[in-house]
Amino acid sequence: MLEIKNLVAGYGKVKVLHAISISVPKGQLVTLIGSNGAGKTTTLRAISGMIAPEAGEITLNGENITGKSSHDITRLGLAHSPEGRRVFGTLSVTDNLLLGAFPRLTGKRPKGDVEADVQKMFDLFPRLRERREQLAGTLSGGEQQMLAMGRALMLQPEVLLLDEPSMGLAPKLVEEVFSIIRRLKEAKTTMLLVEQFAAAALEVADFGYVLENGKLAGSGPADKLKNDPAVRAAYLGHGS
Amino acid sequence: MQNFFQILVSGISVGMIYGVIAFGYQLTFSTSKTLNFGQGEALTLGALVGLTAVNFLIGVSLGNLWAYLIALPVVFAFGMLQGTVVEWLGVRQAIRTKSEAGWIMATIALGIIFKNMAEHIWGKDPIKFPSPVSENPLTIFGVNVRLMEIIIVLGALAMMLGVELFNRRSIYGKAVVATANDRDAAGLMGINTSQVITFSYGLSSLSAALAGVLIAPITLTGANMGAALGLKAFAVAIIGGLSSGLGVVVGGLILGITESLTGFYFDTGYKDVPGLILLLLVLSFKPAGLFGKTAIKKV
Repeated sequence: MLEIKNLVAGYGKVKVLHAISISVPKGQLVTLIGSNGAGKTTTLRAISGMIAPEAGEITLNGENITGKSSHDITRLGLAHSPEGRRVFGTLSVTDNLLLGAFPRLTGKRPKGDVEADVQKMFDLFPRLRERREQLAGTLSGGEQQMLAMGRALMLQPEVLLLDEPSMGLAPKLVEEVFSIIRRLKEAKTTMLLVEQFAAAALEVADFGYVLENGKLAGSGPADKLKNDPAVRAAYLGHGS
Repeated sequence: MQNFFQILVSGISVGMIYGVIAFGYQLTFSTSKTLNFGQGEALTLGALVGLTAVNFLIGVSLGNLWAYLIALPVVFAFGMLQGTVVEWLGVRQAIRTKSEAGWIMATIALGIIFKNMAEHIWGKDPIKFPSPVSENPLTIFGVNVRLMEIIIVLGALAMMLGVELFNRRSIYGKAVVATANDRDAAGLMGINTSQVITFSYGLSSLSAALAGVLIAPITLTGANMGAALGLKAFAVAIIGGLSSGLGVVVGGLILGITESLTGFYFDTGYKDVPGLILLLLVLSFKPAGLFGKTAIKKV
């Protein structure tokens, strides 16, 4: 589904990623874990076209999307719920969701029933239904996170990139976010999840990659990584 | 007192003109944090293209009002096109290279080029613009009001309301608001944000062109008509706040009215002074404008 080969990316002269390769098969939940500054967010930004990769190749459904602009990549079916949520603060919750379906509403992707999907999002995130007319900027952090995820899902994406959905949330909300991720996984949504909470991420994921200083330090089935002593020591807070 | 209200009427109509031009500044500033310093020349060209169209239509024996109404879409289309050209030639590259000031010089330069073109095509002398409505003033409670002054107020409000409705109701309008909110995130929605910025430049010049054909019948048309208006409208945009839709109307009215009052009660030579003093005060004490939200620049 989503294939990343030898991706090199960074900001100006500062290289952050040094030739990393990741594969996200259809219907699977793949997670990318690593400490702060390892390059997790940069990886997602390079995939979705928010920054231009310097080298390497990214393909979506076999189509080369390397270096394409983010709006073109979105129209090909890749949704990215970015770090920091980035909801549109001066627009209502409903409008934010509708914008998630922008390519569908403007004929760039199959339209389907957008209105029904908005209702589905309200079923998935009941708090958003209560706040549907409210401006997104007035929502709490947790609600904004739900909105950012809902907005990305409104694309009916082939692949969903989730960047730190738990960041800055109270433990109870983190649990809620992960239960939603689990539901999306059950619905066979193809996902690439970036998380600081490595333990929780490996708990839900099928496969995991460990990123260290812009290089892959390991990879494997999630339940294997979970029990890998090196991974446990470095990321799961079970240092010996 | 009669005089006072008379002055108020002319202040309001000029103020609304400033408001529409300033609204144009807001349109591009919100999506791209850049603006067209040739906005005054966009107004000039709009008025002159309108003049040619109106004269042509009157030439084929249409009445003044019909000629004016039919010329309007032509002026709008021209404004859209002119703004698009400004964005392509003057702004796009600066945005791409994240140049802080490149667009300033480029849009000023384009403004000068447009003005020279206008002088070349329409000459340097001011020309009378055929008024679409009777020029005899109506007397309302003893105050003389020209019909065109009422049309200016209505036309300006219609423009701003139209854009507001577009932004609120249509998905494309929402895409514009999304781009203004967060350009990167808007890109992730599949919105082509460079197109949105080009469009906002088109709409910005359209506003100026509309201001041009609104004010032309009560002043004169000519290559130099826009420069001062564009500059004052810039002051209005700063006073009202570049991010506040309502601010430009209030800012425009404040400037238009203080100008007229100073011109009448004090000295015409000083009529620009109070507005500019207000500008300096706003810049010192409320730099985001009277109605703008204070922007904190993250470093």
